[in-house]
Amino acid sequence: MAWYDVAREDSFEEDVPKVVQVGEDRVAVFRLEDGFYAISDICTHEYALLSDGFCEDGKVECPLHQACFDIRTGKALDEPAEIDVDVFPTRVADGVVQVDIG
Amino acid sequence: MKTVIIGAGQAGRRTAELLRGLDATREILLIGDEEELPYDRPPLSKEILLGEVHPKGLMQRGVEVYNAERIALRLGARVAGVDLGTARVEMNTGERIAYDSLVIATGGRARMLPLPGAADPRVRTLRTIADARALQAILRPALRLVIVGAGLIGLEVAAAATALGCAVTVLEVSGRVMARCAPAEIGALIASWHQGAGVTMHMNCRLEAIAPDKECLRLSTSMGEMNADLVLVAIGAIPNTELAEEAGLATDDGILVDECGRTSEEQVYAAGEVARIRQPTGHHVRFETWQVAQYQPSAVAHAICGADKRYLELPWHWTNQYGRNVQMLGAQGEDLEWLTREEGERLTSLGVDAYGRVRGAVLIDNGRDATPVRRIIGAEQVIDRDALLDPKRPIRQLC
Repeated sequence: MAWYDVAREDSFEEDVPKVVQVGEDRVAVFRLEDGFYAISDICTHEYALLSDGFCEDGKVECPLHQACFDIRTGKALDEPAEIDVDVFPTRVADGVVQVDIG
Repeated sequence: MKTVIIGAGQAGRRTAELLRGLDATREILLIGDEEELPYDRPPLSKEILLGEVHPKGLMQRGVEVYNAERIALRLGARVAGVDLGTARVEMNTGERIAYDSLVIATGGRARMLPLPGAADPRVRTLRTIADARALQAILRPALRLVIVGAGLIGLEVAAAATALGCAVTVLEVSGRVMARCAPAEIGALIASWHQGAGVTMHMNCRLEAIAPDKECLRLSTSMGEMNADLVLVAIGAIPNTELAEEAGLATDDGILVDECGRTSEEQVYAAGEVARIRQPTGHHVRFETWQVAQYQPSAVAHAICGADKRYLELPWHWTNQYGRNVQMLGAQGEDLEWLTREEGERLTSLGVDAYGRVRGAVLIDNGRDATPVRRIIGAEQVIDRDALLDPKRPIRQLC
């Protein structure tokens, strides 16, 4: 377990992710209506940052080819992406959103 | 039931995979004239040239995937003809293969310049992965590369070759770059990236003769003489309609199909770039894009299974040059007024018609606007001009 601070809870807007980079891992953290969720920020199809993509209804789109991922589960929802993105646990400690990048 | 698909490119692969998804039992045979397993072409003019051996964007599945899906492959195989009367495909070996349904997904081939000297091996085109690998092996610092045609392929190769240190000149017969696929302001912006990177851009310039010499190719153009070590001809593609024409299908610069991919003959379909697809307006349009090869096969697969699923996607394509991503959605014509929203380096330009409706868009490093823009175009609403121009108002809030 390695918890990293992302940002203060009250600084998040819905559907606007914040990004943390830890070593080679780049993780996008989203505020959804039921809490905070963290997924790998890199599309599994071609290199693109999901945090640059359109986000709606718990899904984020790759900005290059509009492949969709479920933010809660990391699941690749349509072509051309076929591989799920990694998901990371989150928690809120003293008003700060943290992500576990193990 | 047996479906034979002629053409093992992206459209052929997608048709086979989607058809398998809809029908677990039918026989599916995919025939291709290249030795390579099916692949998508976008990386050919970018990552492959830059030396990546197996970029992910090729979407090239291993043979075990086809085995698992029970999609039979015949690669490096040529079809000699199609006999619609007996529903058979004839291979150039003389073998005859019966089908219940046939899909023609033969794509296109690169157009060549009708010039003497163009047969020299130093005059190339780029269409297949073999073309791309051969080009990659030649590109080196200080190589004098002349690219004929400032369309997407020509410009992407110019960007890659420049990154590799080649001395690149682009000749374009029209007055501007990307004349067929992007508005003038966007073309000018992209041209400025090339000029900034050191590419010599000659607009309104026609290549008139190629004289192969031992050391180099001596080129005569409408702007004077120049020498090249290598010429890449990137002046568009010609649809491979010969099999369809000889079989007697209706064609017109492409195989004529309805919105579901049906040709003029029962049980015969066309998929991808070779198809000229009927539009809701009644006229037919052919698309040379990854999008049509990716999504129109879904209509074809459904039609084969007896279901109507019309292909009505808003036209969309993209290019990557110098690390910038440019996406073009919908109409790109000069009849539209282009309103541009800039947010730092990101840009979204909206093409608005005389009634104030958004008809098309160009996004530069701004793919997050693609889905909202599609909705705005689809809604055909008149949108307040000040709102369109205000980058502080997210585009998703305009629809």
